[in-house]
Amino acid sequence: MKLPLLNVSKILLAILWALCAISAQAQIDTTSSKMSQNDGKLIAVAMNSNIPDWITQELQPSTLSLSQQQQELQWFKSQAVPFAGLTIRVVSEHIDTHVYESEVLAKAFYDLTGIHVIHELTGEDDVIKKISAQMVTGLNLYDAYINDSDLIGSHSRSGAITTISELLTFEFGQYTLPTLDLNDFIGLQFTSDPFGVIYQLPDQQFANLYWYRSDWFENSNFKSQFKLQYGYELGVPQNWQAYEDIARFFSEDINTIDGIRIYGHMDYAATDPSLGWRISDAWLSMAGVGDVGLPNGLPVDEWGIRVEHCHPAGASVARGGALNSPAAVYAIEKFVDWLKYAPDEAKSLTFSEAGKWLATGKIAQQIFWYSAFVGDLNRPNLPIMDAQGFPKWKVAPSPVGKYWKKGMKSGYQDAGSWTFLKNTPKERQIAAWLYAQFLVSKSVSLKKTLVGFTPIRLSDLESNVMSEKAPYLGGLVEFYRSNARNVWTPTGSNVPDYPNMAGFWWQYVSKIVDGTYSAKQGLDAFAKRVDEHLAQLEQTMVNAKCAPKMNPIKDEAWWLSQPGSPKPINQQVIKGQTLPYEEAIRVWN
Amino acid sequence: MFGTKLLLITLLSMYSLRVFPADKLTLITYSEVPFATQEGNNKKGLVIEFINALFKQTDLEYDIVFLPLKRGMSMAESDLNTCVLPIERNQHREVHYTWIGPVMISRYGLFSVDQSQPQLASLSDAKLASIGSFLGSGIGEYLTHFGYQVDLTNNDNLNVKKLQRGRIDFWAADLVSAKAIMADNDADFGEPKIIFFTSIRAMACHIDLQVETQNKLNHALLHLYKSGYMAELHQKYGLAL
Repeated sequence: MKLPLLNVSKILLAILWALCAISAQAQIDTTSSKMSQNDGKLIAVAMNSNIPDWITQELQPSTLSLSQQQQELQWFKSQAVPFAGLTIRVVSEHIDTHVYESEVLAKAFYDLTGIHVIHELTGEDDVIKKISAQMVTGLNLYDAYINDSDLIGSHSRSGAITTISELLTFEFGQYTLPTLDLNDFIGLQFTSDPFGVIYQLPDQQFANLYWYRSDWFENSNFKSQFKLQYGYELGVPQNWQAYEDIARFFSEDINTIDGIRIYGHMDYAATDPSLGWRISDAWLSMAGVGDVGLPNGLPVDEWGIRVEHCHPAGASVARGGALNSPAAVYAIEKFVDWLKYAPDEAKSLTFSEAGKWLATGKIAQQIFWYSAFVGDLNRPNLPIMDAQGFPKWKVAPSPVGKYWKKGMKSGYQDAGSWTFLKNTPKERQIAAWLYAQFLVSKSVSLKKTLVGFTPIRLSDLESNVMSEKAPYLGGLVEFYRSNARNVWTPTGSNVPDYPNMAGFWWQYVSKIVDGTYSAKQGLDAFAKRVDEHLAQLEQTMVNAKCAPKMNPIKDEAWWLSQPGSPKPINQQVIKGQTLPYEEAIRVWN
Repeated sequence: MFGTKLLLITLLSMYSLRVFPADKLTLITYSEVPFATQEGNNKKGLVIEFINALFKQTDLEYDIVFLPLKRGMSMAESDLNTCVLPIERNQHREVHYTWIGPVMISRYGLFSVDQSQPQLASLSDAKLASIGSFLGSGIGEYLTHFGYQVDLTNNDNLNVKKLQRGRIDFWAADLVSAKAIMADNDADFGEPKIIFFTSIRAMACHIDLQVETQNKLNHALLHLYKSGYMAELHQKYGLAL
């Protein structure tokens, strides 16, 4: 169905409104929220507009003033007129942010525009399978997907994506929110290809950080005992040796607090897709496997895949990759070895099951923790919260392994982003584009951030509302206000076929965890499998930009003697190093 | 000597059990109108037509067996060269099988006996309601996982009676098979109050299915999609989205 064309009066109206919006935008004070105790009168005024009252009330606070917010909401109402009565389908993973979107914001959008959105929630792996299914079958399963930007390398090579760059200018940009303000998005670099084309629009972001019990780390008895035994201060670990020492200290030396068994480490290793993400989400880069470079190492990234001028050339050391390099073996061996410091159950837990353990108050630290779960850990009455409602825990920069060098990424960040497929009927795609912009608009984004703690806009992060909330979030706000948000990054463009290659991780890592393979054997087999897959893609992706072009096999010793990754074995004994929290977070600035 | 012969025979028997069936796949499906039904030796439906077309592209041999879904899933997990179809492919099930798919895309809705009940704006509007599904159903697992009150039966047909008798508030069912089940039971609940979920249904095979066999089946499936056969088959059974 062809989209209805706007008549001249509508165009003039749109131009007039856009001018008003630009003028209003100039007045936005991004450092403070406009909501205050005195805003009751303003809300009453706003309620006299034709925006449903409950929506105005629900979407507080916002960095927009009430009148600016009303204008922005009015734009959605006006632009959606041709699509009223349509039912569209979108799908995303199941985290608090998306639950809020599905159960509250989709209804708000319906009441505002008349567009009924079925916002389905499912596992992230299912979202990926569904995108692939729509590409293979040609059927219009969904009108849009909220999909991790880890797929940027696949999307940019697939030829199946309607890019955000295209949507922004579709029909002269008439369906693009005038106050969308792309420069305000903190994750746009993750959703763009190496040539600057924007493939996805960020909807939520969360980082993978080091989590620890700050009350235990500040306990004077524990501090003196640790120093006596390990020869340095108990503090935020800066390297993996310190993390390991602290894990041993709490699991073995302290062992129980008030009669309750406690643990110096928490993790998960069940045979499950989440085991794959546990490693593919930057674990190898934290060990130091890849090269220097942001958002991802170049020429070798954290999957150990080497690119030559954007063409993936191999993952095995013999082809110049690093997936089975000494640094990767070190990374996996540490992951498996440290499970002995975690509860016995850890080996059979998935990531969502493991997340619940921190709230029990039995865990001292966790090196790999997704900040999307902040909401589960700052509820009143949990043993990890104090009587005043402040957390007894903090987040800090993740410690790094002995192969890590300055200039490399320091950890993982997830940027769940709006993705549109070309084989979606245009009318439905534009209705979904309006819904996507509504969910990330300044009218909505600050409230959404306070519900799910997955910020996407700098204006929200710099608001007074977030300053007031910061002490309750254990350091999350400090992380996102610092340059660290650019150093914790998602999977990048070296990975040309994420949907099919992501499954390899759990298949091989699970066999290392259960002892079928040693880390070296497992990674050799894994690297061989990735090389075979890349070679297959070299044959089938003939017309794709940046298709794989495999390097010839060479003696591993040759590659290991070259500068950068793959790196030769590092047998240096590293001493544990820690810092007080205040100093540790300075590295974020 | 006798002992040695016995050992040899036993070893050969084990060898034959292990190797020869590898040439033939056991494909388990279950009664679900109109996708798969069996009357005597007559097997028919979308799934049967799909299997025949798929294997025609390969040199693989197969048998089709009808069993309850839950049992089929369990056998495909434990028995080499055994597959079950069509089942929902999801993250929870991913690591238990080798997957060939998608075989079909299904949409699920909530049906109510009360025709005057307004449409639901969101699935969460049914959070306090009791919802009927059947054992082994992916949609039943999905709703249970997200905290809905799900009442499972052995057979989806039973949910029609339960809905009519007010023992459940909604029946969660695949749209196409719901129509057929309602027709078989002389019931008409009209259109669903919400269509809330889209699932990919696939063939789930034993995790150690030979890579060569996987590749043959996947290539054959891709051919069926590219040739337009799958679109025609889906259309024939009312599966167009």
